[in-house]
Amino acid sequence: MKVPLYLAVAQWTLLFAFGLLLIVVFRQLGRTLRKDDAVAPLGPEVGSKAASLEYSRFADDTVQYLAPGDGQPTLLAFVEPTCPSCEKLVLALGTAEHAGELSGLRVLLLTSSPKSYLKVSDAFRATRLECGRILARTTTQAYGATSTPLLVAIDRDGVVRAAAPAIELAEVRTFGRACLLPAAERGSIPITAAAPKRENDLEAAAPAPGAD
Amino acid sequence: MDVLVLCAKTAVACLLIVAGGAKLADPASFASTVRLFIPLRVAWPLLSAIAVGVSLGELAVGMASLTLPAIMALDVLVFAIACVFVAVSAVGYAFHRGRSCRCFGALSQRKFDAAGVLRGAVIAGVAAVALTHVNAAALQLDATARVLLFSAAALLALAAFTAARARGAGSGREVAAQ
Repeated sequence: MKVPLYLAVAQWTLLFAFGLLLIVVFRQLGRTLRKDDAVAPLGPEVGSKAASLEYSRFADDTVQYLAPGDGQPTLLAFVEPTCPSCEKLVLALGTAEHAGELSGLRVLLLTSSPKSYLKVSDAFRATRLECGRILARTTTQAYGATSTPLLVAIDRDGVVRAAAPAIELAEVRTFGRACLLPAAERGSIPITAAAPKRENDLEAAAPAPGAD
Repeated sequence: MDVLVLCAKTAVACLLIVAGGAKLADPASFASTVRLFIPLRVAWPLLSAIAVGVSLGELAVGMASLTLPAIMALDVLVFAIACVFVAVSAVGYAFHRGRSCRCFGALSQRKFDAAGVLRGAVIAGVAAVALTHVNAAALQLDATARVLLFSAAALLALAAFTAARARGAGSGREVAAQ
């Protein structure tokens, strides 16, 4: 039986395509296995460049693009309306903002929950801070936000200056100062020394890198 | 010559299938790229729907092109899509340089740059080669062959989807380091 030329060519092309995909999967598997040897840290590495991200702003349902390093220091809070510790953090951030202690900073609450979930929390419903829903799964992964709350201080150059779970007002102030540190003093604030006590889901999380 | 044309034809079809399947693994990411090309303020659900529509469109055209090689109109459509790729790459290079294009979902971390425009042009060139007339006998497929090709194309899309999922889940740290 004679095989049509097209069929023969298509078979070889498909074989190559499957082969390429197989290589991609095995390379990823190798990377993942290597990563699993170490304990996954909570939060991005201090001193690393913060990843850009996109979120849907709840206030007007528009998609916003945040590019750390655009000259404005940023305080990112990864929170969930259903998490009691996150409510405390949102209240602390609101208090600090109201007192003018976070002036000059862009403060952003990021959640993976839909807008309707904000109703379940008084703190989230009442906050005047900008709040949005993370759009891409890679954002949560890039920031190592494996549990909430997680506060990330990013300076004007887009460099992560501190990343750790935080709940109290004092911790919020410390993170706020970390955002505004001059480049020469990069990493001089031992944020995790003042690390918050962890509650519930945070107990199992590893400390932020650069804690020592 | 026929082999070359058929290689071009199947290669572009496979490329469309892989691109469509990989994009469907994380439509939210691709929707943020779509947003770059829509000057109006558009609600997120609509952007998501457009992203899914584009991905499904690529997938459908790729599968149809692979399964129904004798239909010339499909080759023209594939070439038109390839031209759109070039245009999108050029506009992305001009206005959104350095932003991720997510052309293959999480399978590729390529950005809008000059090399991207060149890649788009190469794809369009290959699609143009596929427009060349081929001996009709070479394209004769019976129903069984078509079903097998369709199944292989569906499997390829599924493999691309799975690979993109796996890579997307594991590449978070790499994104952070960029």
